Amino acid sequence: MSLFLAQVLKVVVIFAGLVSAAGVSTLAERKVSAWIQLRLGPNRVGPFGVLQPLADGIKFFFKEEFIPQGATRWLFLLAPMLAAIPAMMTVAVIPFTGVIATVDGTPIYGSIADIDIGAIYVMAISGLGVYGIILGGWASNSKYSLLGGLRASAQMISYELSMILVILSIVAMSGTMNLREITDQQNANSLLGFLPAWNVFYQPLGFVLFVICTFAETNRHPFDFAECESELVGGFHTEYSSMKFALFFIGEYCAMIVMSCLTTTLFLGGAAVPFWAEAPWFVGLAAFVVKAAFFMFLFIWVRWSLPRFRYDQLMALGWKVFLPLALANVFVTGLVLSL
Amino acid sequence: MVIVKRKELTLAERLYLPEILRGLSITLRKMFVKRATRQYPEEPLVTTEVTRGQPRLAVNTDGTVRCVSCGMCEAACPAYAITIDGHETERPIEREPERFEIDMLRCILCGFCEEACPKEAIWMSDELELADYTRGALVYDLEKLKRPVSALQPRIDYIKKINDRWRTSSSTS
Repeated sequence: MSLFLAQVLKVVVIFAGLVSAAGVSTLAERKVSAWIQLRLGPNRVGPFGVLQPLADGIKFFFKEEFIPQGATRWLFLLAPMLAAIPAMMTVAVIPFTGVIATVDGTPIYGSIADIDIGAIYVMAISGLGVYGIILGGWASNSKYSLLGGLRASAQMISYELSMILVILSIVAMSGTMNLREITDQQNANSLLGFLPAWNVFYQPLGFVLFVICTFAETNRHPFDFAECESELVGGFHTEYSSMKFALFFIGEYCAMIVMSCLTTTLFLGGAAVPFWAEAPWFVGLAAFVVKAAFFMFLFIWVRWSLPRFRYDQLMALGWKVFLPLALANVFVTGLVLSL
Repeated sequence: MVIVKRKELTLAERLYLPEILRGLSITLRKMFVKRATRQYPEEPLVTTEVTRGQPRLAVNTDGTVRCVSCGMCEAACPAYAITIDGHETERPIEREPERFEIDMLRCILCGFCEEACPKEAIWMSDELELADYTRGALVYDLEKLKRPVSALQPRIDYIKKINDRWRTSSSTS
């Protein structure tokens, strides 16, 4: 019974944390962009504008729900849900911290679901997110939306491939697909005696590839061809308004957060604190949040620094550079492991 | 015809990542630069005696208006913003305005009225804010235009200083 209770509690806390983190990220996005552009950013709602996401949310509720003429109604309504739900589902397997407590001899882990196919689960579910974008683009009955959706799908396929190959080399190194075990292994040893044994030191190329692929995977700058304001007005969400648009928005930020968490888990030792293997679970959680927050900041930082790629450059980069590099990475990893 | 040769990119440039890091470092540095933004309603505008705000009528310490309703400012006004009706009075200046209106929506804050005034009665104040709900409310009458001399003193001193400098330099040459 208490196990069940603990499980429900974890689900509620992690889900609420994810959604509120998405809200905070929207504020961070605006604040960081303002700082980079020598502005102050939102500062009217609450001290330093901290209540801005709340005000935005309330505003979204009161906006008109608009469904364009000729839109496929059902798919148009379904698409935002399909975009947001997979992004929120993937968070289930992320091990936010180590063992929180032990109830009746069963350890309660820091993830909602401690499953053995965590890595596959993440890729499978986050890959579904593109359906929301494609359907939203197609159902809108608008040329801009359709082009945005098409681009998103082509981009997702190209970059998911390299991403999976990078995860494959991590899995080959760790010998497990359970994300918690991957974290534990990085926490257990040390590299050359002074570095933590994080995968980022074993797989530097894989790390770089993975981070860039997460940018493409979440449709963020410099690969935001699904939105592409300057060419496609708003891309797949051109015709969306009100909470439907907000769902796309939340979905995008949730996907970014999950990808940050995944990068942290796979490459930066998750909840591991350097040189303190027996850190209590809340310290581990704090370490995890700090590491993930860095990647969130990186997402925003890059967005306000780099111009958008050209579409053909994006595809060329994905297929001619990233795929061979990722393949080579898997090959070399395999070679070293077999020696 | 000019043929522009494309620069050969170095390896670091073709790899692109070092250049991305360079760009990121620039934006990161910009995050810590001091902001020049002024939060207007909370931080009021900085005004000096040089600020040429809306024209106001100087009122002496005994409460009388300096204006003698001569109509010089009315004639000088390029925007036809000023309307004056005067009448005679027992005071030593003999005349005073009965109606003095400046349509603040027409006023272009040029300061010609200040220059034209022979009695040092109209001055450009440091008041800059102009907002109301109707057009009529922005036609300022005598009561709205009155300001004690003390409030306008910095401007008066400044204009006198400027004029004195101009007089001495022209008299010596």
